[in-house]
Amino acid sequence: MTSETPVTVKSVRVRPAGYSVVKAGPRGRFLLHRRASLVAAALLVLLAAVCVAYLCVGESFVAPGEVVKVILGQPSSAELVVGTLRLPRMVVGLLVGAAFGIAGALIQTVARNPLASPDIIGISQGASALTVGAMTFGITSYTVLPYLSVIGGIAAAALVYVFAWRGGLHATRFVLIGIGFAVALRSVTTLFLTKGDYLVAQQAQIWMTGSLNGRGWPEAAPIGWTLLVLLPAIAWAARAQRTVTMDDDTATGLGVRLGRVRLGLVALGVVLASVATGTAGPVDFVALLAPQIARRMTRTAQIPLLSSALLGAVIVVLGDLLARKLFSPTELPVGVLTAAVGAPYLIWLIIRGHRGRSGGTA
Amino acid sequence: MSPSRSTNASTDPSPTTGGRLAARSLALAYEDRTVVHELDLTVPDGQVTVIVGPNACGKSTTLRALGRLLKPRGGAVLLDGTELARIPTKQIARSIGLLPQTPVAPEAITVSDLVARGRQPHQSWWQQWSDEDERAVTDAMSRTDVTALADRPVDELSGGQRQRVWIAMALAQDTDLLLLDEPTTYLDIAHQVEVLDLVRQLASPAADGTRGRTVVTVLHDLNQAARYADRLVAMKEGRIVAEGAPGDVVTAELVHEVFGLEAVIVPDPVTGSPLVVPGAPWTPPTPSPSPSGPASASAPTPGKVL
Repeated sequence: MTSETPVTVKSVRVRPAGYSVVKAGPRGRFLLHRRASLVAAALLVLLAAVCVAYLCVGESFVAPGEVVKVILGQPSSAELVVGTLRLPRMVVGLLVGAAFGIAGALIQTVARNPLASPDIIGISQGASALTVGAMTFGITSYTVLPYLSVIGGIAAAALVYVFAWRGGLHATRFVLIGIGFAVALRSVTTLFLTKGDYLVAQQAQIWMTGSLNGRGWPEAAPIGWTLLVLLPAIAWAARAQRTVTMDDDTATGLGVRLGRVRLGLVALGVVLASVATGTAGPVDFVALLAPQIARRMTRTAQIPLLSSALLGAVIVVLGDLLARKLFSPTELPVGVLTAAVGAPYLIWLIIRGHRGRSGGTA
Repeated sequence: MSPSRSTNASTDPSPTTGGRLAARSLALAYEDRTVVHELDLTVPDGQVTVIVGPNACGKSTTLRALGRLLKPRGGAVLLDGTELARIPTKQIARSIGLLPQTPVAPEAITVSDLVARGRQPHQSWWQQWSDEDERAVTDAMSRTDVTALADRPVDELSGGQRQRVWIAMALAQDTDLLLLDEPTTYLDIAHQVEVLDLVRQLASPAADGTRGRTVVTVLHDLNQAARYADRLVAMKEGRIVAEGAPGDVVTAELVHEVFGLEAVIVPDPVTGSPLVVPGAPWTPPTPSPSPSGPASASAPTPGKVL
């Protein structure tokens, strides 16, 4: 072995495959995944189309031209139907979907498990238990309940985290303990429902399915502000996600403080999921579906946050559109629709996962 | 905290002469079980140090502690005289690169993406890619001969290719020190030799006279260790039994003491380094002493089979 000089005349420069370097300012250099950017752009177009359709379709059809007029603030005959009834509800749907999408992406990333989403590891169930409990004790004010469900969700997540912690966060233990808590909390909710007044129970049942019915600007504002305030944290998470997808030793070797990063990502996901649940109730499967589909579209090594958010918004808005229209004049809660789509997908995910494990020879 | 990348210790001739990395009365334990006792070790700069020893002797545990993957129960690991526990982990990552025994790649990641993640400790949120990153990744991939695989998913690679990719990632980190935990496991003999040759190449001084990298590695195969090590560290039951150049360390007595194996030491026909030849293989106890087999005839067999 002669000591070779590594500096051969070689002009081939290697960059991470599929990424482009984007310059921003004198020192900023960002890595942009090309396919993920395209997917996000396409989803944005799709979302815009779904939103226009949402505003057009309903008990009465409003022409897209009128819808655009209302959005731009020009006088229109459809002001009441579109501007007052449909638009605020749609905005709530957008924000809830985006929050669930990001929350699911973050929790799945940390748990390294596509099944780990807020509605499976107990966050939604914690929110439900506290909210339904409060309802049966006569607290039915819609100014108080959302906050209770936020508290319930965060408390449940904190419990799961504490119980799953044993000198470190083990991903599988986190998911299994979460599922255990979810079952326990659901039975608590059921207890409240059977103890409670019939009318309250029915109201609680609708809330627990997840519905945008009757939601408007007062509900849009808190979740909108939450997303805005957390935007820097979400931007941090998009980058921090990269490192937690590797095994613990490798990540530590690269100088990542894994414990803190994981806690940060989970906490962010839990807050977003709880706020979304507080706003519209636990809209099932959105947090599970959106990140997994988004990742299959972008083919990135980690779950793409932006695409997950956009896809979450598409799912909820489209779901609510169908829920309003499908059995018109009867309005279904949007959660019924997302569950109808999500449950088969979950089964498919599990079957596929098993096949992958048994036939994994590559 | 704007890390100006000028703190690139690998290029400037370090004033330290002995070793940047050292362990002082290191005690390591899992739960209540102490695995390593009062271990003192100085890793010589610019050389290949190989830790050998029987299973469960604490060699991998020691390596993990050198790379701050395991907190010492007692004593300390020192980097440039400072306790590892007192240095920010990102700063350590600019001096020590490590390759765990069984690293796990993110699902569906491409080779170049994985190697590029070795640059993590040199990057920040607003500086996700620099010319220096590009140079280091390009260089690491060409040295490990994985440039042609750049766009391939890591999942699809063979074991040997995958191991080279992981080494490329550790190289891209551009650290003075490299800790490799059994880098030859799961590889066939040709790939083992390939990886070990690369290790030697890394430690050799560059053409301009700058010192090569410091490598600490754990190997299972005593003969490979003797071939490739500048310095051999033999461990048994959590303690260092012998330490030094392979030619001085590997003796029949030491092999017996450390591994409990009767063996003959002969010079390696290619390198001249000590070659451990174990005693004759077990043969079925022949009830009648009829000279039927050639098994016991040829070799000098100090091996007592019991």
